[in-house]
Amino acid sequence: MKRNPAAFLKKEYDELVKNSFDWKLRILKTGSMPHSVVDGKEVIMLCSNNYLNLSNHPRLIKGAVDAAKKFGAGSGSVRAIAGTMELHMEVERKLAKFKRTESSLIYQTGFAANAGLIPQLVGKEDIIISDELNHGSIIDGVRLTKADRAVYKHRDMGELEKVLKDADKKYNRILIITDGVFSMDGDIAPVDQIVKLATEYGAMTYADDAHGEGVIGPDGRGIGAHFGIEGKIDVEMGTFSKAFGVVGGLIAGSQDLVNFAYNKSRTWLLSGSHPPAVAGAQLAAIDVLETEPQHVKNLWDNTKYFKKELNSMGFDTGHSETPITPVIVGESSKAKELSNRLYDEGVFALPIVFPMVARDKARIRTMMNAGLTKKDLDFALEKFEKLGKKLEII
Amino acid sequence: MDSKIGFLVNPISGMGGRVGLKGTDGVLEEAVKLGAKPAASKKAEETLREYLNEYSKNDNVQWFTCSGEMGGEELKKAGVTKVEVVYSSLGKDTSSEDTKRACKTFLEKNVDLIIFCGGDGTARDVFEIVDKKTPILGIPSGVKMHSGVFGINTRAVAKMLHEFVNGRLTIGDAEIMDLDEDRYRKGEWNIQLFGIAKGIVEPTYVQVGKSCYESVSDDETKDELTEHIVDEIERYSDFLFLFGSGGTIDYIAHKMNLKNTLLGIDAIYNKKLIGKDLNEEGILRLLDKYSKAKVILSPIGAQGFILGRGNLQLSPCVIRKIGFDNIIVISTPSKLVSTPIIRVDTGDKELDHLFVENEFMMVVIGYRMSRVVKIQTNNF
Repeated sequence: MKRNPAAFLKKEYDELVKNSFDWKLRILKTGSMPHSVVDGKEVIMLCSNNYLNLSNHPRLIKGAVDAAKKFGAGSGSVRAIAGTMELHMEVERKLAKFKRTESSLIYQTGFAANAGLIPQLVGKEDIIISDELNHGSIIDGVRLTKADRAVYKHRDMGELEKVLKDADKKYNRILIITDGVFSMDGDIAPVDQIVKLATEYGAMTYADDAHGEGVIGPDGRGIGAHFGIEGKIDVEMGTFSKAFGVVGGLIAGSQDLVNFAYNKSRTWLLSGSHPPAVAGAQLAAIDVLETEPQHVKNLWDNTKYFKKELNSMGFDTGHSETPITPVIVGESSKAKELSNRLYDEGVFALPIVFPMVARDKARIRTMMNAGLTKKDLDFALEKFEKLGKKLEII
Repeated sequence: MDSKIGFLVNPISGMGGRVGLKGTDGVLEEAVKLGAKPAASKKAEETLREYLNEYSKNDNVQWFTCSGEMGGEELKKAGVTKVEVVYSSLGKDTSSEDTKRACKTFLEKNVDLIIFCGGDGTARDVFEIVDKKTPILGIPSGVKMHSGVFGINTRAVAKMLHEFVNGRLTIGDAEIMDLDEDRYRKGEWNIQLFGIAKGIVEPTYVQVGKSCYESVSDDETKDELTEHIVDEIERYSDFLFLFGSGGTIDYIAHKMNLKNTLLGIDAIYNKKLIGKDLNEEGILRLLDKYSKAKVILSPIGAQGFILGRGNLQLSPCVIRKIGFDNIIVISTPSKLVSTPIIRVDTGDKELDHLFVENEFMMVVIGYRMSRVVKIQTNNF
């Protein structure tokens, strides 16, 4: 039989389209701005991760341009061979200082950090203990190991301790992994308690702080700073692609961790290093965070105002503690409809539906931006109120 | 297209309990004489009303049922439309023969789901005819409800029906269990596992991309569990492995090409079946021969028992010999949704206490993947 070797491509894609599981890409005509033009329509942006609006900050743009002019468009190699520039080293030094850790390492993306490092930290005879709601890139990292895995109920320290007690008897290395800020509900993992339990049972700790980096803690220094335990989390992992406004993954911790990580992480070793423009912008982003506290302050002021107003309208915003504010509406179809209508009215926020969240907890997930003005927020709030009433949510 | 639901009530179920009998099998006359009143009709009607009021708004359902108190009346009283009576009872008093004949008719009508109202005895009658041809769902109204096909209460059944009609539930294993009534009346208490029916369960989801999930079939999670168990057998190559009863463990044994028993306890050494459908004595003999052993258990029935229901061969003596640390509990994640607590009732208080003082057990739910599950004794 002569097979059509590529027939499955169309078949599987068609199946996705049929079930509405395909991604319909939304095209931006502008940069990722507080007011963006999405699919030809100007909207208030409530679903980017550009929390601090740094991607449009003049100092970051200048950092990128200057670095590109001076060092070129590409880096020429992987970091390990000939792709490490003084600029890359400078970012890592500066980042470690910012994070108050001994050392740091930049990966190509946050996903590359998790997928590259987690499988090296544990192997056979070891166990990874993970919060049941951890993000997909952690889950993929975990899948690449030969270690056993155990999950505990979301933020349930009692269950975590039970698993630790059991694991303590059976395994060699124990690694506890958690998101710092959970991206669906905007709640924060009790990392201080996790570190305490980990110390008691001799376990390593790994916090994926993608949504906390630049957002929580003094000056946006992340989950460790939020709990005042800088340097106590074995691996603080984060990203430059969200609040930092650029792109790239990062880990911060001991010099031993960094030495180990860059010698062992296959993603790091086998991908080209960041172009100078990226490194230049990263450097400027850290600079801005250290010298211009107003961005983090604006983000939180906006967040508090937005949440308060939504609540007073009667919306259920769950138990978020961060600039991720879910607006819980109930059935999936209602969340989708609200999202579509918000877009028609000039507000861009995406629905999160079952099975990402419980069936009766479908929601619009809003992500605040420091660059939005009070006028912008009032505009968005007015639309939420109008449509919320129309759809009988409030 | 309409979902086709077969609906059946065993009007005499639950009558024995009110007068101190464990079920009505063969003792109906005695129960009536003692003043027992029918309870099933009310439960059935309650379920239907809850479904109509809370859930049925946009559901398209075609109902098939039986005459009179065997379903037709309850549907009518609750105000359900689109009902077709496809079976008429044999005589004035309904019997288990009626249940079986009605189920045969439902199968001929190609129903998507059979809902019955009764207890373990009714579940057995339904299962005897339906086997694994169609999923079944029980409205609990009998005296004994150990089988895994029952919803927790009428409200839960109404909700499950709605979710099923909307394609949000999937097919999974559900054990049919019952007290051996003849032995019970002689003073012996023994819950037997009679078979594995098809029930409806919450599907398991895995994240396959950013914000993108896929539901995984029960068989796929069982394949993962098989891989895990095969790994364990290879890792502990000098251990005897006892396979408990139930659908999940049966699936694993089939995948390993073992000619096992579905309802009994089997022994495996070096991936080969060396003992089949063993009784306590047989198990103890093997445990004398093989000094190291592990036992694989899975929660059984509506209450999630891992020991003491349907597997009395695994006696306190056997469990003590094997040792607490050599018990492997496995379960599909969807099963844990319906039985979030696992239970033991070994008949030996001290042994039960050993389990319960830990408060929890690690249950394997996928390849090298486990989670914490609460454990309790029979006292719930």
